[in-house]
Amino acid sequence: MKKLFIVLGVVLVTADFSACTKTDNYPGPDSAFQGNIIDSVTGKNLLTETGGIQIEMKQLSWSDNPDPYYIPSKPDGTFEDTRIFSGHYSVIPTQGAFWPVDSIVTDIKGATSHNFTVVPYLEVVNLQSTQAADSLVMTFQLQAPRTNGLPPLMNAVMFVNNTPYVGGGAFIQDFYNQGGAQVTINSTWNSAIAGTTYRTVVHKLQAGWTYYSRIGVRVNDSYQKYDLSDVVKVVMPPGK
Amino acid sequence: MQKAKYLFVILIGCLSVACHKLDTPPLGVIAEDQVFTNANAVQAYMANVYAFLPIEDFNYEPHAGFMTGNGGRWQCFYHTDAIDGEMVGPYGGTNDQNAATGFGYWPYDRIRVINVLINQLPAYASNFTPDQVNEWLGEAYFCRAYTYFGLVKRYGGVPIVKNVIDANASIASLQIPRNTEEDVYNFIGSDLDSAFALMKDPGNSAPQGTASKYAAAALKSRTMLYAGTIAKYGATNYVDGPARQKGFTGIPAGDAGKFFQAAYDAAKLVEGHFSLYTGGYPDKVQNYVDVFLKPNNENIFMRQYSLSDPNRNSDNAGPHSWDATMTCRIMTADGLSRAYPTLDFVERFGSLSPRIVDGSGAPVRFNDRADLMQGQEPRLLATVYFPGSTLRGITFDVQRGIYNTFSGSAAQEVNNDLTSPNDAQNTNLWLGGFADVVGGKDVIGRAGVSTNGDDYTRTGFYVRKYVDYNKPTSACGLYQSAQSYIDLRYAEVLLNRAEAAFELGTPAMQADALTDINLLRDRAGAAPATAAMTIDTIRNERCKELAFEHQYWWDIRRWRTADQVLNQRNCYALLPYYVASENKYIFLKQLEPFKRTYNFQKLWYYEPLPGGELTKNPNLFPNNPGY
Repeated sequence: MKKLFIVLGVVLVTADFSACTKTDNYPGPDSAFQGNIIDSVTGKNLLTETGGIQIEMKQLSWSDNPDPYYIPSKPDGTFEDTRIFSGHYSVIPTQGAFWPVDSIVTDIKGATSHNFTVVPYLEVVNLQSTQAADSLVMTFQLQAPRTNGLPPLMNAVMFVNNTPYVGGGAFIQDFYNQGGAQVTINSTWNSAIAGTTYRTVVHKLQAGWTYYSRIGVRVNDSYQKYDLSDVVKVVMPPGK
Repeated sequence: MQKAKYLFVILIGCLSVACHKLDTPPLGVIAEDQVFTNANAVQAYMANVYAFLPIEDFNYEPHAGFMTGNGGRWQCFYHTDAIDGEMVGPYGGTNDQNAATGFGYWPYDRIRVINVLINQLPAYASNFTPDQVNEWLGEAYFCRAYTYFGLVKRYGGVPIVKNVIDANASIASLQIPRNTEEDVYNFIGSDLDSAFALMKDPGNSAPQGTASKYAAAALKSRTMLYAGTIAKYGATNYVDGPARQKGFTGIPAGDAGKFFQAAYDAAKLVEGHFSLYTGGYPDKVQNYVDVFLKPNNENIFMRQYSLSDPNRNSDNAGPHSWDATMTCRIMTADGLSRAYPTLDFVERFGSLSPRIVDGSGAPVRFNDRADLMQGQEPRLLATVYFPGSTLRGITFDVQRGIYNTFSGSAAQEVNNDLTSPNDAQNTNLWLGGFADVVGGKDVIGRAGVSTNGDDYTRTGFYVRKYVDYNKPTSACGLYQSAQSYIDLRYAEVLLNRAEAAFELGTPAMQADALTDINLLRDRAGAAPATAAMTIDTIRNERCKELAFEHQYWWDIRRWRTADQVLNQRNCYALLPYYVASENKYIFLKQLEPFKRTYNFQKLWYYEPLPGGELTKNPNLFPNNPGY
């Protein structure tokens, strides 16, 4: 009987090892893809926010109909993903506040980088901010690099947050709800808009706090994302 | 040697039994010839079809689906209208838990079950009367159209499968490509025409739990209206992509009129066979409450529930939990509530500002919270429970907090950011929990408003529609409600007709629309509409009449207004406060305390095709734009 158990044990252990011999022999996601999204007007990185743009990637070498994979933008207008499968890709920046661009087809192997140049729908210019008592006023004008076929403008918003990560996806709701933080435009581009200096204001900023604020403006395209201004740091004097 | 002899005999014996051919019918499977030869069996077959019909009923959850066999199905508050601004509650935002982008509905197994009957039943027709066969076929066409509508309103174009497909066919032939969105709507229209033609006129004995001739017409008015509005409004508000260019999403704008006409014609067929319920007059509040609780001639098609269903917690036919999960725990035996009508919805019936704010801008002082209900539209009072109303002998004593004194305007409190001079917490304003008492008065009501969790109203209102006021509290626990869910009722047919007629736009059609709307207004106890009516009047009427019936979400999608309606949207509440120095109550319009934000991305006008299906069938590509 004892012998039988030993034999059985040996058989089972052998079976155990032999059953697991199939290994995943695909290479891991050992490449990296990074780059800048450049504003064609300023020549610098596009002012955006976390996830303000998505880099849509389709791995053509994997399938004819690959599921899209997205790399979200960082606030500084760069993107980076260090866990990408090597291969042949179609890449396009999308879901952002800029004129649609064509996709590029590229091989990604090792550390690969590519810069995309885009034309934003709108630029926030002549931005000025004034701090008084518990209020912050921002004035600005709008420019449209391309006006022909520009979707209708929706609104401009002054986003305020208590971290430098501020934009359409990160702001303090109570300031937004005050009403003065928003300018509704709802119009196609015209010379009156070009000539207007817009003014936004929020109140009830807390003494002693540091806030970060910027202007976002958007058009009614498929994604309704914001073109953003620089971030302004606002240090409120300590209370009495 | 003796042993060998026995072995030989056994072997011979084995030989003789091994030669039976395996041609016995499997005992575990009921074949078509057993079902389609017996009327009871066909009815059982149809019951199974109805059980899986994608009816968005009490149990349906936009993020989780139709909840058959799902233990979470008691949570009626996971309601479609809790992501579209009619209610706030369980969802943190519009696409929380993928509520807006769906649960991957893909019911081709159910379509196959229906196709089996449509394909096979005619061969067995001699077993039944022609009327029986036609009725069943008509029901099957209705159910197939209903199921495809569940698909097309989510995804746009999907593969049209009209016949039972051989599962052993080559993979390539099973990978059926998408049809266009317009093709699917046309297919639904023709199936409903077939259903209408096949089924007999039921007279006054229509069994409302199964489809009837006029249910087919009513459903056609709904589906064709969807197609018409998608053609008209989807032409200007869309996300572009390969799927749109191939017609999988979107319908050519030029075909809008054709669909509106079809919707109108279908709605007109129902006229004279169903009518708005008027029982309980002259009390129009009681009348409207009973529309949803008493058998009546307004109900065209509904899902019924049984308290004695053996699978009561999982079957679609088992009881639901509407009573236990839509009103306050103090009126129920069990459960909890989490979805609450917004002031935004309530003000569709007219602004409350003239009642709660006086000429100087200060809140009106009330002796009794219930006084606010005076003069409100009966339909509104029958749709939501206002503060001060009563259910099962218990009052909704809704109260957000206590102001020691209150001075100044109501407007300064709207943003609910606790920064006005009145809002000095715990010196002039008390907000708190159930145990808190200030000056001998409870700080909040037993029915809320509580911000400690989701279980009590935070908008001031509770849902009243479908709540069974007749049942004792002890019978209002989980899985103890069996009131039917009315999926198609004549009020909707009138609204479909009015909207289609108004979109068609001729003077005669506009007059027809006005008549339809005023039928509803009269029953609702509201002032009649005038010839100055616009499309927005009709749409608003639809929202008011069909509130909390899983309609508004799909309406703002097909009108292509969702991205404007749900644009950084916060909802408002009507919060009652006790003002201690005056011994009065005030109502403040304020942002609902959780300040949840609702947004709608344009790409959500279509849900993404389920990833698993795309993997199995590359012919489903391209996926809908943006996915």
